[in-house]
Amino acid sequence: MVIDTRTCIGCGDCVVACKNENKVPVGLNRDWVVEATRGEYPNLETEFRSERCNHCSHATCVTSCPTGASHHWKDSNIVLVAAEKCTGCKACIAACPYDARLIMHPDGYVDKCTFCHHRVDQGLDPACVSSCPTHCMHFGNLDDRDSVVSRLLRERRHKVLMPETGNQPHVYYLT
Amino acid sequence: MTAAPAPRPTLVRFVFSSVGHLFRGPPLYWLWVLLLLALIALGGWHYWLQLRDGLVVTNMTNQVSWGFYIANFTFLVGVAAAAVMLVVPAYIFHRRDIKDVVLMGDTMAIAAVTMAILFVVVDLGRPDRFWHLIPGIGRFNFPESMLAWDVIVLNGYLLLNLGISFYIVYHHYRGEDPKASRYFPWVLLAIFWAISIHTVTAFLYAANSGRPYWHNALLAPRFIASAFASGPAMMALGLQIIRAISDYPIRQSVINHLALVATIALQVTLFFLLAELFTEFYNEGEHAASARYLFLGLDGHSGLTPWIWTAVVLLSIAVVILMIHPLRHNPLTMNIAFVLIIVGVWIEKGMGLIVPAFVPTPIGEIYEYTPSLTEIMVSVGIWAIGLLLFTLLAKAALPVQCEFLRRQRASEQQSWDGVERRHNAA
Ligand code: SF4
Ligand code: SF4
Repeated sequence: MVIDTRTCIGCGDCVVACKNENKVPVGLNRDWVVEATRGEYPNLETEFRSERCNHCSHATCVTSCPTGASHHWKDSNIVLVAAEKCTGCKACIAACPYDARLIMHPDGYVDKCTFCHHRVDQGLDPACVSSCPTHCMHFGNLDDRDSVVSRLLRERRHKVLMPETGNQPHVYYLT
Repeated sequence: MTAAPAPRPTLVRFVFSSVGHLFRGPPLYWLWVLLLLALIALGGWHYWLQLRDGLVVTNMTNQVSWGFYIANFTFLVGVAAAAVMLVVPAYIFHRRDIKDVVLMGDTMAIAAVTMAILFVVVDLGRPDRFWHLIPGIGRFNFPESMLAWDVIVLNGYLLLNLGISFYIVYHHYRGEDPKASRYFPWVLLAIFWAISIHTVTAFLYAANSGRPYWHNALLAPRFIASAFASGPAMMALGLQIIRAISDYPIRQSVINHLALVATIALQVTLFFLLAELFTEFYNEGEHAASARYLFLGLDGHSGLTPWIWTAVVLLSIAVVILMIHPLRHNPLTMNIAFVLIIVGVWIEKGMGLIVPAFVPTPIGEIYEYTPSLTEIMVSVGIWAIGLLLFTLLAKAALPVQCEFLRRQRASEQQSWDGVERRHNAA
């Protein structure tokens, strides 16, 4: 997933779209918008970032999960939780450097962003990507050199969050 | 009329007579057992509420997802591991005085590791799915997941200690010397295993690269150092209590040995703490946020600051007491130091280690945590289970041990007398 921080206006539509699409219980959010301010008055710079699980290739949540409930979906980088196997031990929450996991799900398992894999399976974009009014989010296959996301990462300056953890995250921010 | 021959000591009789010992005791014993049972019932009731309503009845949140339970777990793993401080001198260096009491060390390890396992179980949001963690039945994510390792090492340690203690007590019951060749390899294994339970538990935390407070090579050494301070302190207190209420011969030299171990381990613990504080604060970076929260408070949040300073002060007083020889050999001041160590390490290795790693969260939010009533009551219940287990195991094993030691001394006395006689005759 590639998110353009220069066009994001911080409207929070992605958060609402996710709640609707995935019936996320009250009080929980699988994605959120961060407003980061840098510099000193009057030279301030604000960056809006829509954040969620980074669907890491080296996902520490998957390695730390004792039961294999957290797993990579169909050899992709999409990380899912098999609810019926989750013991609620919370090892994955301690292991995730992005705070992307939610323990308090009323159905008793650890919940997180699924990259709307049910939509991706049908060839659709995740709900947050589709809902964005400024088209600042893009979803696609990075292995395909001609996809929009590959092209954007080739052409634009970008970053990932906390690369130092070694998780190899896959939500990229254009800066 | 001849006396009836003594019954042949079979396994069944052993079990019956041991269970029999549990039902004979002075009123104080019954009072103590009933008190523990009442606390267990209270804890059980609160655990039932937690099962019914889910982890929401705890104060753990999405942000601070491990709390009081895991704090107690960490402390108890240390206590369990510290049994080696009796096992090594007893079996490797053959110290007789320690060999006489080493079984109590094993008993304490059994109680502590049982409590540790229970603390993990109550921390699970869905204990009904625990079977996924049983190798063979579920898909056990081994060797990747550190928690999977922990399940193996903790249960293995429990089995090892149960097996060794049972073997030894049973042979003592039969009036034989246990065969060293049969149990010694297991004792050796248990020694390494004891270090491993604490190391694996430390790695469970240190593996999390997103939590700088834990992601630190000193974590496992610090664990072991503080465990070797708190465990011997607890054992020394337990042994003195046993000595006061039973006729089990426990020599002062054993207590002195434990005091010495605790002293050295405590010095190392404090040195490690200093090293860590220096690294965090000399050139304070972003990664020091958790340490700042713990020791100094962060952005007006300082829930844990009074706690950690209490721990530091208690441990410092304890180390001073223990380093002054007359004070270390005075029963009163020595025992005060032991209590200070236990409380201090319980804070430092418990809440002081677990909670700050989650504060602030990796994305910089601050959520403070204090345990809820449910968490405290369930924890009290588990401690009561551990104490009860220790009491019952000790109660069942002590008469056998006393009898064995008495016989052993008597036969030694006889052969000694023989030597003397020969000597006099010559
Ligand atoms: S962001 Fe966290 S939850 Fe998502 S894959 Fe990475 S480690 Fe796992
Ligand atoms: S809480 Fe669930 S998903 Fe997370 S590590 Fe434990 S079993 Fe796996």
